[in-house]
Amino acid sequence: MAAEVKISIESELDIVTARQKGRELAAGLGFSGTDQTLLATAISEVARNIVSYAGRGEIVFTSLNEDGRPGIMVVAQDQGPGISNVEQAMRDGYSTGNSLGVGLPGTRRLVDDFALASTPGVGTTVTLKKWRR
Amino acid sequence: MPVPILKQGDVLIASIQAALSDRDLVEFRDDVATRVGSLRARGLIIDVTALDVLDSFATRTLRGIAYTAKLRGANTVVVGIQPDVAFAMVELGLSLEGIATALDLEEGLALLSQRSGQRGGRS
Amino acid sequence: MTELGPQASTQVLAREMGLDQQNVERRKRIVDLTSEDIARIATLRDVVADHVDEFTGVFFDYLVSLDEGRALFANRTVTERARALKRDHLLAMVEGRYDTEYAIKRLELALLYSKYELDLRVFLAAFHHLLKRIGQSVMRRGESAPLEAFEAFMSLKKVAFLDIGIVVDAIVFERERVIRTQQDAIRELSTPVLQIRERLLLLPIIGVIDTHRARLITESLLKAIRANRAKVVVMDITGVATIDSKVANHLIQTVTAAKLMGASVIVTGLSADVAQSLVALGIDLAKLNTVGDLQGGMEEAEALLGYRVTLTGERVAGASPLVG
Repeated sequence: MAAEVKISIESELDIVTARQKGRELAAGLGFSGTDQTLLATAISEVARNIVSYAGRGEIVFTSLNEDGRPGIMVVAQDQGPGISNVEQAMRDGYSTGNSLGVGLPGTRRLVDDFALASTPGVGTTVTLKKWRR
Repeated sequence: MPVPILKQGDVLIASIQAALSDRDLVEFRDDVATRVGSLRARGLIIDVTALDVLDSFATRTLRGIAYTAKLRGANTVVVGIQPDVAFAMVELGLSLEGIATALDLEEGLALLSQRSGQRGGRS
Repeated sequence: MTELGPQASTQVLAREMGLDQQNVERRKRIVDLTSEDIARIATLRDVVADHVDEFTGVFFDYLVSLDEGRALFANRTVTERARALKRDHLLAMVEGRYDTEYAIKRLELALLYSKYELDLRVFLAAFHHLLKRIGQSVMRRGESAPLEAFEAFMSLKKVAFLDIGIVVDAIVFERERVIRTQQDAIRELSTPVLQIRERLLLLPIIGVIDTHRARLITESLLKAIRANRAKVVVMDITGVATIDSKVANHLIQTVTAAKLMGASVIVTGLSADVAQSLVALGIDLAKLNTVGDLQGGMEEAEALLGYRVTLTGERVAGASPLVG
Protein backbone atom coordinates (compact mmCIF):
# COMPACT_ATOMS: atom_id res chain seq x y z
CA MET A 1 0.00 0.00 0.00
CA ALA A 2 1.03 3.58 -0.36
CA ALA A 3 2.82 4.93 2.65
CA GLU A 4 -0.09 7.14 3.70
CA VAL A 5 -3.83 6.97 3.21
CA LYS A 6 -5.96 9.93 4.25
CA ILE A 7 -9.66 9.86 4.99
CA SER A 8 -11.49 13.11 5.49
CA ILE A 9 -14.03 13.05 8.29
CA GLU A 10 -16.77 15.48 7.42
CA SER A 11 -19.84 13.65 8.64
CA GLU A 12 -20.87 10.57 10.51
CA LEU A 13 -21.04 8.70 7.22
CA ASP A 14 -17.25 8.90 7.03
CA ILE A 15 -16.90 6.95 10.26
CA VAL A 16 -17.81 3.72 8.52
CA THR A 17 -15.57 4.58 5.55
CA ALA A 18 -12.62 5.19 7.84
CA ARG A 19 -13.02 2.01 9.84
CA GLN A 20 -13.57 -0.11 6.76
CA LYS A 21 -10.43 1.34 5.24
CA GLY A 22 -8.55 0.54 8.42
CA ARG A 23 -9.83 -3.01 8.34
CA GLU A 24 -8.86 -3.37 4.70
CA LEU A 25 -5.34 -2.10 5.30
CA ALA A 26 -4.88 -4.31 8.35
CA ALA A 27 -6.13 -7.31 6.43
CA GLY A 28 -3.60 -6.57 3.71
CA LEU A 29 -0.85 -6.61 6.30
CA GLY A 30 -1.93 -10.03 7.53
CA PHE A 31 -3.68 -9.01 10.74
CA SER A 32 -6.00 -11.66 12.23
CA GLY A 33 -9.74 -11.17 11.96
CA THR A 34 -9.97 -10.39 15.65
CA ASP A 35 -7.23 -7.76 15.46
CA GLN A 36 -8.87 -6.26 12.40
CA THR A 37 -12.07 -5.84 14.37
CA LEU A 38 -10.26 -4.36 17.36
CA LEU A 39 -8.62 -1.82 15.09
CA ALA A 40 -11.82 -1.03 13.21
CA THR A 41 -13.62 -0.50 16.52
CA ALA A 42 -10.88 1.82 17.76
CA ILE A 43 -11.08 3.82 14.53
CA SER A 44 -14.84 3.99 14.89
CA GLU A 45 -14.45 5.47 18.37
CA VAL A 46 -11.91 8.14 17.44
CA ALA A 47 -13.74 9.03 14.26
CA ARG A 48 -16.98 9.37 16.19
CA ASN A 49 -15.23 11.69 18.64
CA ILE A 50 -14.10 13.88 15.77
CA VAL A 51 -17.64 14.13 14.46
CA SER A 52 -19.19 14.70 17.86
CA TYR A 53 -16.73 17.22 19.24
CA ALA A 54 -15.04 18.89 16.32
CA GLY A 55 -17.46 18.45 13.48
CA ARG A 56 -14.72 17.58 11.07
CA GLY A 57 -11.17 16.33 10.90
CA GLU A 58 -9.08 13.70 9.21
CA ILE A 59 -7.70 10.25 9.76
CA VAL A 60 -4.36 9.24 8.30
CA PHE A 61 -3.21 5.63 7.97
CA THR A 62 0.45 4.74 7.70
CA SER A 63 1.96 1.30 7.42
CA LEU A 64 4.74 0.55 9.85
CA ASN A 65 7.49 -2.02 9.97
CA GLU A 66 9.63 -2.91 12.93
CA ASP A 67 12.23 -5.61 12.28
CA GLY A 68 10.03 -7.25 9.73
CA ARG A 69 6.91 -7.04 11.87
CA PRO A 70 4.21 -5.06 10.12
CA GLY A 71 2.00 -2.61 11.89
CA ILE A 72 -0.40 0.20 11.22
CA MET A 73 -0.53 3.72 12.59
CA VAL A 74 -3.75 5.70 12.72
CA VAL A 75 -3.61 9.43 13.38
CA ALA A 76 -6.98 11.05 14.06
CA GLN A 77 -6.73 14.80 13.99
CA ASP A 78 -9.19 17.63 14.36
CA GLN A 79 -9.25 21.37 15.01
CA GLY A 80 -12.03 21.13 17.53
CA PRO A 81 -12.45 22.50 21.04
CA GLY A 82 -9.88 20.13 22.50
CA ILE A 83 -9.88 18.33 25.83
CA SER A 84 -9.03 20.49 28.80
CA ASN A 85 -8.04 17.72 31.16
CA VAL A 86 -6.47 14.88 29.22
CA GLU A 87 -5.49 12.95 32.31
CA GLN A 88 -9.01 12.96 33.59
CA ALA A 89 -10.44 11.94 30.24
CA MET A 90 -8.11 8.96 30.15
CA ARG A 91 -9.20 7.65 33.50
CA ASP A 92 -11.51 4.69 33.23
CA GLY A 93 -15.05 5.44 34.18
CA TYR A 94 -14.80 9.15 33.57
CA SER A 95 -17.63 10.45 31.47
CA THR A 96 -18.75 13.91 30.44
CA GLY A 97 -22.16 12.48 29.90
CA ASN A 98 -21.58 12.16 26.20
CA SER A 99 -19.87 8.88 26.84
CA LEU A 100 -16.43 10.21 25.91
CA GLY A 101 -15.33 8.35 28.97
CA VAL A 102 -16.04 4.94 27.58
CA GLY A 103 -14.33 5.97 24.39
CA LEU A 104 -10.78 6.93 25.33
CA PRO A 105 -9.54 4.53 28.02
CA GLY A 106 -11.44 1.71 26.36
CA THR A 107 -10.01 2.60 22.96
CA ARG A 108 -6.54 2.40 24.41
CA ARG A 109 -7.13 -1.25 25.30
CA LEU A 110 -7.94 -2.08 21.71
CA VAL A 111 -4.54 -1.06 20.37
CA ASP A 112 -0.88 -1.48 21.26
CA ASP A 113 0.23 2.14 21.41
CA PHE A 114 -1.97 5.10 22.21
CA ALA A 115 -1.08 8.78 22.42
CA LEU A 116 -3.38 11.72 22.95
CA ALA A 117 -2.42 15.33 22.50
CA SER A 118 -4.94 18.08 22.91
CA THR A 119 -4.95 21.85 23.34
CA PRO A 120 -8.20 23.54 24.30
CA GLY A 121 -9.33 25.85 21.55
CA VAL A 122 -6.82 24.42 19.10
CA GLY A 123 -7.54 20.78 18.50
CA THR A 124 -6.91 17.14 19.30
CA THR A 125 -4.66 14.46 17.86
CA VAL A 126 -5.03 10.82 18.76
CA THR A 127 -2.31 8.45 17.57
CA LEU A 128 -2.97 4.71 17.57
CA LYS A 129 -0.55 1.96 16.66
CA LYS A 130 -1.30 -1.71 16.29
CA TRP A 131 1.15 -4.44 15.41
CA ARG A 132 0.47 -7.72 13.75
CA ARG A 133 0.87 -10.63 16.15
CA MET B 1 -31.85 2.58 3.91
CA PRO B 2 -34.56 1.36 6.25
CA VAL B 3 -34.09 -1.75 8.33
CA PRO B 4 -36.54 -4.47 7.24
CA ILE B 5 -38.79 -5.54 10.10
CA LEU B 6 -40.69 -8.79 9.80
CA LYS B 7 -43.43 -10.11 12.00
CA GLN B 8 -43.52 -13.68 13.27
CA GLY B 9 -46.37 -14.30 15.65
CA ASP B 10 -46.13 -11.57 18.22
CA VAL B 11 -42.42 -11.09 17.64
CA LEU B 12 -40.83 -8.48 15.42
CA ILE B 13 -37.60 -9.45 13.73
CA ALA B 14 -35.25 -6.75 12.52
CA SER B 15 -32.15 -7.71 10.58
CA ILE B 16 -29.48 -5.07 10.36
CA GLN B 17 -27.67 -5.66 7.09
CA ALA B 18 -24.88 -3.14 7.28
CA ALA B 19 -23.59 -0.29 9.39
CA LEU B 20 -26.41 2.21 9.63
CA SER B 21 -26.13 5.96 9.40
CA ASP B 22 -27.36 8.01 12.32
CA ARG B 23 -30.46 8.91 10.35
CA ASP B 24 -31.19 5.27 9.55
CA LEU B 25 -30.86 4.42 13.21
CA VAL B 26 -33.30 7.14 14.22
CA GLU B 27 -35.73 5.90 11.60
CA PHE B 28 -35.28 2.37 12.82
CA ARG B 29 -35.98 3.34 16.39
CA ASP B 30 -39.12 5.23 15.40
CA ASP B 31 -40.21 2.32 13.22
CA VAL B 32 -39.82 -0.05 16.14
CA ALA B 33 -41.79 2.24 18.41
CA THR B 34 -44.64 2.46 15.91
CA ARG B 35 -44.80 -1.21 15.03
CA VAL B 36 -44.50 -2.58 18.53
CA GLY B 37 -47.45 -0.46 19.42
CA SER B 38 -49.62 -1.04 16.38
CA LEU B 39 -48.87 -4.74 16.02
CA ARG B 40 -48.99 -5.39 19.76
CA ALA B 41 -45.66 -7.15 19.58
CA ARG B 42 -44.39 -8.78 22.78
CA GLY B 43 -40.91 -9.38 21.52
CA LEU B 44 -38.31 -7.74 19.33
CA ILE B 45 -35.29 -9.47 17.89
CA ILE B 46 -32.47 -7.34 16.55
CA ASP B 47 -30.14 -9.43 14.43
CA VAL B 48 -26.67 -7.92 14.20
CA THR B 49 -24.97 -10.89 12.52
CA ALA B 50 -23.91 -8.71 9.59
CA LEU B 51 -22.30 -6.02 11.71
CA ASP B 52 -18.53 -6.22 11.81
CA VAL B 53 -18.18 -3.52 14.46
CA LEU B 54 -20.29 -2.59 17.46
CA ASP B 55 -18.85 0.57 18.93
CA SER B 56 -19.98 2.64 21.91
CA PHE B 57 -22.40 4.62 19.77
CA ALA B 58 -24.03 1.53 18.29
CA THR B 59 -24.30 -0.04 21.73
CA ARG B 60 -25.93 3.06 23.17
CA THR B 61 -28.35 3.07 20.29
CA LEU B 62 -29.27 -0.58 20.79
CA ARG B 63 -29.94 0.15 24.44
CA GLY B 64 -32.15 3.07 23.40
CA ILE B 65 -34.13 0.93 20.99
CA ALA B 66 -34.60 -1.81 23.58
CA TYR B 67 -35.82 0.79 26.03
CA THR B 68 -38.25 2.19 23.48
CA ALA B 69 -39.58 -1.28 22.78
CA LYS B 70 -39.92 -2.01 26.47
CA LEU B 71 -41.96 1.13 27.00
CA ARG B 72 -44.41 -0.26 24.53
CA GLY B 73 -44.49 -3.70 26.05
CA ALA B 74 -41.96 -5.71 24.08
CA ASN B 75 -38.84 -7.51 25.29
CA THR B 76 -35.77 -7.20 23.13
CA VAL B 77 -33.18 -9.85 22.37
CA VAL B 78 -30.06 -8.93 20.45
CA VAL B 79 -28.76 -11.87 18.45
CA GLY B 80 -25.83 -12.61 16.22
CA ILE B 81 -22.99 -10.79 17.91
CA GLN B 82 -19.93 -12.34 16.28
CA PRO B 83 -16.98 -13.64 18.35
CA ASP B 84 -14.53 -10.91 17.45
CA VAL B 85 -17.20 -8.24 17.84
CA ALA B 86 -18.06 -9.54 21.33
CA PHE B 87 -14.37 -9.56 22.13
CA ALA B 88 -13.87 -5.97 20.98
CA MET B 89 -16.92 -4.88 22.97
CA VAL B 90 -15.64 -6.23 26.26
CA GLU B 91 -12.16 -4.86 25.61
CA LEU B 92 -13.74 -1.48 25.01
CA GLY B 93 -15.72 -1.87 28.21
CA LEU B 94 -19.14 -1.87 26.60
CA SER B 95 -22.01 -3.72 28.10
CA LEU B 96 -25.43 -4.62 26.86
CA GLU B 97 -26.47 -5.04 30.43
CA GLY B 98 -30.20 -5.12 30.71
CA ILE B 99 -30.70 -6.45 27.22
CA ALA B 100 -30.98 -10.15 26.62
CA THR B 101 -28.65 -11.66 24.08
CA ALA B 102 -28.71 -14.93 22.21
CA LEU B 103 -26.54 -16.70 19.69
CA ASP B 104 -28.82 -16.39 16.69
CA LEU B 105 -32.37 -15.91 15.50
CA GLU B 106 -33.44 -19.41 16.49
CA GLU B 107 -32.10 -19.04 20.01
CA GLY B 108 -33.53 -15.56 20.28
CA LEU B 109 -37.01 -16.75 19.40
CA ALA B 110 -36.69 -19.64 21.87
CA LEU B 111 -35.64 -17.24 24.60
CA LEU B 112 -38.56 -14.93 23.93
CA SER B 113 -41.12 -17.74 23.91
CA GLN B 114 -39.67 -19.05 27.16
CA ARG B 115 -40.02 -15.67 28.74
CA SER B 116 -43.60 -15.21 27.63
CA GLY B 117 -44.31 -18.84 28.60
CA GLN B 118 -43.04 -18.07 32.09
CA ARG B 119 -45.11 -14.96 32.24
CA GLY B 120 -48.18 -16.90 31.08
CA GLY B 121 -47.45 -19.59 33.64
CA ARG B 122 -47.51 -17.15 36.48
CA SER B 123 -50.82 -15.55 35.68
CA MET C 1 -3.72 -23.16 1.85
CA THR C 2 -3.99 -22.68 -1.89
CA GLU C 3 -0.75 -22.22 -3.76
CA LEU C 4 -0.23 -18.74 -5.05
CA GLY C 5 1.51 -18.08 -8.33
CA PRO C 6 5.10 -16.86 -8.10
CA GLN C 7 4.21 -13.23 -8.64
CA ALA C 8 1.52 -13.23 -5.98
CA SER C 9 3.72 -15.08 -3.47
CA THR C 10 6.53 -12.57 -3.76
CA GLN C 11 4.09 -9.69 -3.33
CA VAL C 12 2.66 -11.29 -0.19
CA LEU C 13 6.09 -12.04 1.21
CA ALA C 14 7.34 -8.54 0.40
CA ARG C 15 4.43 -7.01 2.23
CA GLU C 16 4.79 -9.27 5.25
CA MET C 17 8.53 -8.68 5.43
CA GLY C 18 8.03 -4.98 5.12
CA LEU C 19 10.02 -4.83 1.89
CA ASP C 20 8.60 -1.53 0.73
CA GLN C 21 10.18 1.53 -0.82
CA GLN C 22 11.37 2.88 2.49
CA ASN C 23 12.95 -0.43 3.39
CA VAL C 24 14.71 -0.80 0.06
CA GLU C 25 16.11 2.73 0.30
CA ARG C 26 17.41 1.91 3.74
CA ARG C 27 19.09 -1.25 2.45
CA LYS C 28 20.76 0.72 -0.33
CA ARG C 29 21.94 3.20 2.23
CA ILE C 30 23.36 0.40 4.37
CA VAL C 31 25.48 -0.99 1.53
CA ASP C 32 26.27 2.60 0.57
CA LEU C 33 25.14 2.25 -3.03
CA THR C 34 25.70 5.63 -4.67
CA SER C 35 24.99 7.05 -8.10
CA GLU C 36 28.73 6.78 -8.85
CA ASP C 37 28.48 3.09 -8.15
CA ILE C 38 25.55 2.77 -10.52
CA ALA C 39 27.44 4.61 -13.25
CA ARG C 40 30.43 2.30 -12.81
CA ILE C 41 28.23 -0.79 -12.86
CA ALA C 42 26.83 0.32 -16.21
CA THR C 43 30.28 -0.21 -17.72
CA LEU C 44 29.99 -3.90 -16.80
CA ARG C 45 26.83 -4.54 -18.82
CA ASP C 46 28.65 -5.93 -21.80
CA VAL C 47 30.94 -8.30 -19.97
CA VAL C 48 28.03 -9.71 -17.93
CA ALA C 49 25.73 -10.03 -20.96
CA ASP C 50 28.49 -11.82 -22.88
CA HIS C 51 29.21 -14.29 -20.10
CA VAL C 52 25.81 -14.63 -18.42
CA ASP C 53 25.35 -18.32 -19.20
CA GLU C 54 28.87 -19.14 -18.07
CA PHE C 55 28.29 -17.25 -14.82
CA THR C 56 24.96 -18.99 -14.22
CA GLY C 57 26.70 -22.33 -14.80
CA VAL C 58 29.42 -21.52 -12.29
CA PHE C 59 26.87 -20.84 -9.57
CA PHE C 60 24.97 -24.05 -10.12
CA ASP C 61 28.01 -26.21 -10.64
CA TYR C 62 29.23 -25.09 -7.25
CA LEU C 63 25.87 -25.92 -5.67
CA VAL C 64 25.77 -29.41 -7.13
CA SER C 65 29.35 -30.08 -6.05
CA LEU C 66 28.30 -30.06 -2.40
CA ASP C 67 25.90 -32.47 -0.71
CA GLU C 68 24.17 -29.64 1.06
CA GLY C 69 23.53 -27.91 -2.24
CA ARG C 70 21.73 -30.68 -4.07
CA ALA C 71 18.26 -29.71 -2.87
CA LEU C 72 17.47 -27.71 -5.97
CA PHE C 73 18.41 -30.54 -8.28
CA ALA C 74 15.83 -33.05 -7.21
CA ASN C 75 13.43 -31.99 -9.90
CA ARG C 76 14.24 -30.97 -13.46
CA THR C 77 11.54 -28.26 -13.59
CA VAL C 78 12.75 -26.72 -10.38
CA THR C 79 16.36 -26.71 -11.52
CA GLU C 80 15.48 -25.08 -14.82
CA ARG C 81 13.37 -22.47 -13.10
CA ALA C 82 16.18 -21.71 -10.64
CA ARG C 83 18.66 -21.36 -13.49
CA ALA C 84 16.38 -19.06 -15.44
CA LEU C 85 15.82 -16.87 -12.40
CA LYS C 86 19.55 -16.72 -11.68
CA ARG C 87 20.25 -15.72 -15.25
CA ASP C 88 17.68 -12.94 -15.02
CA HIS C 89 19.18 -11.88 -11.74
CA LEU C 90 22.68 -11.49 -13.20
CA LEU C 91 21.38 -9.36 -16.04
CA ALA C 92 19.28 -7.28 -13.66
CA MET C 93 22.27 -6.71 -11.38
CA VAL C 94 23.95 -4.58 -14.04
CA GLU C 95 20.74 -3.07 -15.36
CA GLY C 96 21.10 -0.05 -13.09
CA ARG C 97 17.60 -0.01 -11.58
CA TYR C 98 17.53 -1.02 -7.93
CA ASP C 99 14.04 -0.11 -6.84
CA THR C 100 11.28 -1.93 -4.96
CA GLU C 101 10.44 -3.97 -8.02
CA TYR C 102 14.04 -5.15 -8.28
CA ALA C 103 14.03 -6.13 -4.62
CA ILE C 104 10.76 -8.00 -4.86
CA LYS C 105 11.98 -9.90 -7.91
CA ARG C 106 14.84 -11.26 -5.80
CA LEU C 107 12.25 -12.93 -3.58
CA GLU C 108 11.34 -15.45 -6.26
CA LEU C 109 14.66 -17.22 -5.92
CA ALA C 110 14.58 -16.76 -2.17
CA LEU C 111 11.24 -18.53 -1.97
CA LEU C 112 12.61 -21.33 -4.10
CA TYR C 113 15.67 -21.69 -1.89
CA SER C 114 13.42 -21.64 1.14
CA LYS C 115 11.00 -24.19 -0.26
CA TYR C 116 13.76 -26.63 -1.07
CA GLU C 117 15.64 -25.80 2.09
CA LEU C 118 18.83 -24.80 0.39
CA ASP C 119 21.60 -24.62 2.98
CA LEU C 120 22.43 -20.95 3.52
CA ARG C 121 26.15 -21.64 3.90
CA VAL C 122 26.18 -23.29 0.52
CA PHE C 123 24.20 -20.45 -1.04
CA LEU C 124 26.72 -17.91 0.27
CA ALA C 125 29.68 -19.99 -0.86
CA ALA C 126 28.23 -20.48 -4.33
CA PHE C 127 27.48 -16.78 -4.58
CA HIS C 128 31.04 -15.98 -3.59
CA HIS C 129 32.34 -18.37 -6.20
CA LEU C 130 30.17 -16.68 -8.79
CA LEU C 131 31.41 -13.24 -7.79
CA LYS C 132 34.98 -14.45 -8.09
CA ARG C 133 34.38 -15.59 -11.66
CA ILE C 134 32.67 -12.32 -12.52
CA GLY C 135 35.63 -10.48 -11.03
CA GLN C 136 38.08 -12.45 -13.15
CA SER C 137 36.12 -11.69 -16.32
CA VAL C 138 35.82 -8.02 -15.41
CA MET C 139 39.57 -7.70 -14.80
CA ARG C 140 40.42 -9.52 -18.00
CA ARG C 141 38.06 -7.29 -20.01
CA GLY C 142 39.35 -4.15 -18.35
CA GLU C 143 43.05 -5.07 -18.64
CA SER C 144 43.93 -1.70 -20.13
CA ALA C 145 42.40 0.20 -17.20
CA PRO C 146 42.67 -2.12 -14.22
CA LEU C 147 41.89 0.46 -11.54
CA GLU C 148 38.61 1.40 -13.21
CA ALA C 149 37.73 -2.25 -13.67
CA PHE C 150 38.44 -2.96 -10.02
CA GLU C 151 36.32 0.01 -8.88
CA ALA C 152 33.46 -1.12 -11.12
CA PHE C 153 33.64 -4.61 -9.71
CA MET C 154 33.62 -3.28 -6.14
CA SER C 155 30.52 -1.25 -6.99
CA LEU C 156 28.87 -4.37 -8.35
CA LYS C 157 29.68 -6.16 -5.11
CA LYS C 158 27.59 -3.61 -3.24
CA VAL C 159 24.59 -4.71 -5.27
CA ALA C 160 25.54 -8.32 -4.62
CA PHE C 161 25.45 -7.66 -0.89
CA LEU C 162 22.18 -5.81 -1.25
CA ASP C 163 20.74 -8.90 -2.91
CA ILE C 164 22.24 -11.33 -0.41
CA GLY C 165 20.72 -9.27 2.40
CA ILE C 166 17.28 -9.53 0.84
CA VAL C 167 17.54 -13.26 0.12
CA VAL C 168 18.85 -14.15 3.58
CA ASP C 169 16.21 -12.01 5.31
CA ALA C 170 13.52 -13.70 3.23
CA ILE C 171 14.76 -17.19 4.03
CA VAL C 172 14.95 -16.40 7.73
CA PHE C 173 11.49 -14.87 7.62
CA GLU C 174 10.08 -17.99 6.02
CA ARG C 175 11.76 -20.15 8.64
CA GLU C 176 10.25 -18.04 11.36
CA ARG C 177 6.87 -18.42 9.72
CA VAL C 178 7.09 -22.14 10.36
CA ILE C 179 7.99 -21.46 13.97
CA ARG C 180 5.06 -19.06 14.29
CA THR C 181 2.70 -21.70 12.97
CA GLN C 182 4.02 -24.17 15.50
CA GLN C 183 3.63 -21.64 18.28
CA ASP C 184 0.04 -21.08 17.25
CA ALA C 185 -0.56 -24.81 17.43
CA ILE C 186 0.93 -24.92 20.91
CA ARG C 187 -1.22 -22.03 22.00
CA GLU C 188 -4.30 -23.82 20.68
CA LEU C 189 -3.44 -26.89 22.69
CA SER C 190 -2.93 -24.87 25.84
CA THR C 191 -6.34 -23.23 25.64
CA PRO C 192 -8.58 -26.16 24.96
CA VAL C 193 -12.30 -25.78 24.82
CA LEU C 194 -14.01 -29.13 25.08
CA GLN C 195 -17.51 -29.96 24.01
CA ILE C 196 -18.96 -32.12 26.74
CA ARG C 197 -22.51 -32.39 25.52
CA GLU C 198 -24.63 -30.73 22.97
CA ARG C 199 -24.63 -27.00 23.72
CA LEU C 200 -22.29 -27.48 26.70
CA LEU C 201 -18.63 -26.54 26.70
CA LEU C 202 -15.96 -27.15 29.30
CA LEU C 203 -13.11 -24.69 29.55
CA PRO C 204 -10.45 -25.90 31.99
CA ILE C 205 -7.96 -23.14 32.65
CA ILE C 206 -4.59 -24.18 33.94
CA GLY C 207 -1.49 -22.22 34.80
CA VAL C 208 -0.61 -18.58 34.69
CA ILE C 209 -3.06 -16.14 33.19
CA ASP C 210 -1.59 -12.94 31.86
CA THR C 211 -3.35 -10.43 29.64
CA HIS C 212 -2.13 -12.09 26.48
CA ARG C 213 -3.23 -15.57 27.50
CA ALA C 214 -6.55 -14.29 28.80
CA ARG C 215 -7.26 -12.80 25.40
CA LEU C 216 -6.37 -16.04 23.66
CA ILE C 217 -8.63 -17.98 25.97
CA THR C 218 -11.51 -15.58 25.40
CA GLU C 219 -11.01 -15.68 21.64
CA SER C 220 -10.97 -19.50 21.58
CA LEU C 221 -14.00 -19.70 23.78
CA LEU C 222 -16.06 -17.28 21.70
CA LYS C 223 -15.22 -19.10 18.49
CA ALA C 224 -16.12 -22.39 20.14
CA ILE C 225 -19.44 -20.99 21.32
CA ARG C 226 -20.31 -20.13 17.75
CA ALA C 227 -19.03 -23.40 16.31
CA ASN C 228 -20.83 -25.55 18.87
CA ARG C 229 -23.83 -23.30 19.38
CA ALA C 230 -23.11 -23.58 23.05
CA LYS C 231 -25.57 -22.28 25.60
CA VAL C 232 -23.62 -23.10 28.72
CA VAL C 233 -19.92 -23.00 29.47
CA VAL C 234 -18.33 -24.50 32.55
CA MET C 235 -15.13 -22.57 33.17
CA ASP C 236 -12.98 -24.41 35.68
CA ILE C 237 -10.28 -22.34 37.33
CA THR C 238 -9.04 -24.89 39.85
CA GLY C 239 -5.73 -25.03 38.07
CA VAL C 240 -5.12 -21.32 37.75
CA ALA C 241 -1.88 -20.44 39.49
CA THR C 242 -2.65 -17.08 41.03
CA ILE C 243 -5.97 -15.34 41.06
CA ASP C 244 -5.42 -11.70 41.76
CA SER C 245 -7.64 -8.79 40.82
CA LYS C 246 -6.17 -8.61 37.32
CA VAL C 247 -6.87 -12.25 36.61
CA ALA C 248 -10.33 -11.94 38.12
CA ASN C 249 -11.08 -9.04 35.82
CA HIS C 250 -9.91 -11.05 32.84
CA LEU C 251 -12.23 -13.87 33.84
CA ILE C 252 -15.14 -11.50 34.28
CA GLN C 253 -14.45 -10.13 30.81
CA THR C 254 -14.49 -13.62 29.37
CA VAL C 255 -17.82 -14.28 31.05
CA THR C 256 -19.27 -10.99 29.78
CA ALA C 257 -18.16 -11.70 26.24
CA ALA C 258 -19.68 -15.19 26.33
CA LYS C 259 -22.92 -13.69 27.55
CA LEU C 260 -23.02 -11.34 24.55
CA MET C 261 -23.11 -14.46 22.43
CA GLY C 262 -25.96 -15.88 24.46
CA ALA C 263 -23.95 -18.35 26.49
CA SER C 264 -24.03 -18.44 30.27
CA VAL C 265 -20.87 -19.32 32.14
CA ILE C 266 -20.59 -21.33 35.34
CA VAL C 267 -17.30 -20.76 37.10
CA THR C 268 -16.03 -23.67 39.14
CA GLY C 269 -12.95 -24.10 41.26
CA LEU C 270 -13.04 -20.73 42.94
CA SER C 271 -12.17 -21.42 46.54
CA ALA C 272 -13.93 -19.55 49.31
CA ASP C 273 -10.63 -17.98 50.43
CA VAL C 274 -9.83 -16.62 47.02
CA ALA C 275 -13.39 -15.40 46.60
CA GLN C 276 -13.16 -13.55 49.91
CA SER C 277 -9.91 -11.83 49.05
CA LEU C 278 -11.25 -10.80 45.66
CA VAL C 279 -14.34 -9.28 47.21
CA ALA C 280 -12.10 -7.50 49.69
CA LEU C 281 -10.20 -6.05 46.71
CA GLY C 282 -13.45 -4.65 45.42
CA ILE C 283 -14.06 -7.13 42.65
CA ASP C 284 -17.74 -7.55 42.02
CA LEU C 285 -18.19 -11.29 41.86
CA ALA C 286 -21.93 -11.00 41.63
CA LYS C 287 -21.60 -11.08 37.88
CA LEU C 288 -20.19 -14.57 38.11
CA ASN C 289 -22.22 -17.70 38.61
CA THR C 290 -19.86 -19.67 40.78
CA VAL C 291 -20.16 -23.24 41.96
CA GLY C 292 -17.68 -24.86 44.30
CA ASP C 293 -16.33 -27.76 42.35
CA LEU C 294 -16.31 -29.06 38.81
CA GLN C 295 -18.74 -31.86 39.52
CA GLY C 296 -21.26 -29.46 40.95
CA GLY C 297 -20.71 -27.10 38.06
CA MET C 298 -21.37 -29.82 35.49
CA GLU C 299 -24.55 -30.81 37.26
CA GLU C 300 -25.74 -27.23 37.34
CA ALA C 301 -24.91 -26.88 33.67
CA GLU C 302 -26.87 -29.96 32.76
CA ALA C 303 -29.79 -28.76 34.82
CA LEU C 304 -29.70 -25.44 32.96
CA LEU C 305 -29.80 -27.28 29.69
CA GLY C 306 -32.76 -29.31 30.80
CA TYR C 307 -31.06 -32.65 31.29
CA ARG C 308 -32.45 -34.85 34.02
CA VAL C 309 -30.61 -37.67 35.74
CA THR C 310 -32.76 -40.81 35.80
CA LEU C 311 -32.68 -43.50 38.48
CA THR C 312 -30.15 -45.55 36.57
CA GLY C 313 -27.82 -42.56 36.43
CA GLU C 314 -28.63 -41.96 32.81
CA ARG C 315 -28.75 -38.38 31.71
CA VAL C 316 -31.77 -37.61 29.64
CA ALA C 317 -32.67 -34.41 27.87
CA GLY C 318 -35.89 -33.24 29.47
CA ALA C 319 -38.64 -30.97 28.43
CA SER C 320 -37.90 -28.40 31.08
CA PRO C 321 -36.76 -25.17 29.53
CA LEU C 322 -33.61 -23.23 30.24
CA VAL C 323 -34.13 -21.18 33.34
CA GLY C 324 -33.16 -17.50 33.14
